[in-house]
Amino acid sequence: MTDSRAGFARRRRFDELVGMYHQDMYRYAAWLSRDHAIAEDVVQEALLRAWKSLDALREEAAAKQWLLTIVRRENARWFERKRLETVDVDNLTPSQEALLAESPDEDVGDVRAAIYRLDDDYREPLVLQVLMGYSTNEIAEMMGLKQGAVLTRLHRARHKLKDQLEKDAGTPGT
Amino acid sequence: MTTSEKNSEIHGTTPEFEQRIARALELPVPELRMPELPEIDSDKVVAIEPRRRRVPPVWLAMAASVALVAIVGVRLFGVAPEYDSLAEEIIAHLDHEPYALRVTDEPVSDTRLSRIVPANLATLDHSAGLITYAQNCKIKGKVSPHLVIQGKNGPVTVILMPEVRVQSAETIEGQSINGVILPVGDGSIAIIGEKDEDLEPIQRSVIDSVAWST
Repeated sequence: MTDSRAGFARRRRFDELVGMYHQDMYRYAAWLSRDHAIAEDVVQEALLRAWKSLDALREEAAAKQWLLTIVRRENARWFERKRLETVDVDNLTPSQEALLAESPDEDVGDVRAAIYRLDDDYREPLVLQVLMGYSTNEIAEMMGLKQGAVLTRLHRARHKLKDQLEKDAGTPGT
Repeated sequence: MTTSEKNSEIHGTTPEFEQRIARALELPVPELRMPELPEIDSDKVVAIEPRRRRVPPVWLAMAASVALVAIVGVRLFGVAPEYDSLAEEIIAHLDHEPYALRVTDEPVSDTRLSRIVPANLATLDHSAGLITYAQNCKIKGKVSPHLVIQGKNGPVTVILMPEVRVQSAETIEGQSINGVILPVGDGSIAIIGEKDEDLEPIQRSVIDSVAWST
């Protein structure tokens, strides 16, 4: 029964979705957790959960947002289970440092470190907007916020980034 | 217009600054490690239709019941994950319908609301709040209307469980959510919102507007 055509089609559908969105899932998890190892765990759990509830996904067009929502919840669960304290950016574990591993481009490394320092409330909408390409309205839906609140957070995130980059470099962040 | 140009226009930054952010966010991604996926019998991933009542001979009923318990047990447990608690099942259920949690001011129609919350199950009116989603779901194997009410800080999930009894109120605390499962008569009601959502007013209006009919 498990090798039935339906089962095969289900697995193929899942593999296709994972192939398309695995990168987004990992990057989202990594920016939420700020830890490479946790991000990998979260993605594993999210994939498992997505597999179990795949039949609830009715439209392929909604797959990315569906998967990212699962990642978001799995990340929250991970931190609930572990009850981790907030990350001390001046005292990173090797797994946290791995996320900021040296980039061939020095500027990328600097901006990455500045984004890493942002509070969760600012970092997450920034990731969803810039990396995932969602509109403020869609981000509001995903985060359960009003659109105005999302816009405010996005503005502040950029201001904080600029300030941080200016502080680091002693020059305007443009 | 590129995404960077669009974002720079919205936020009053330069497209170059937006590109710097975009480049920095593109972390290198490790190779995919696929978890071990449990086998799922796709034929069983469908809503179970109500069975027609029949009166079989006693010997047949006994033999069949033993076989049925074995088969259904194996198959169902292969499909539906087991949960340690009602709270865990409810939280897992929220993943199944992430689109329910959208911010909108469009209420579900009275027709739909009365179909999902029929009079023989419970009575509920719009005084509970702006109800923007209504769907029948199963919690603990029992039909449980799943509603979404717009709260002050975002959508709030309300699950009416007229046949799921809890001994006392149970809080659900998470990094991004807070909620409660309340005993109401012979059933219970789960209310879950964002972490900073004040659920008290919604709790009050939901409890005031729900009356079990069972």
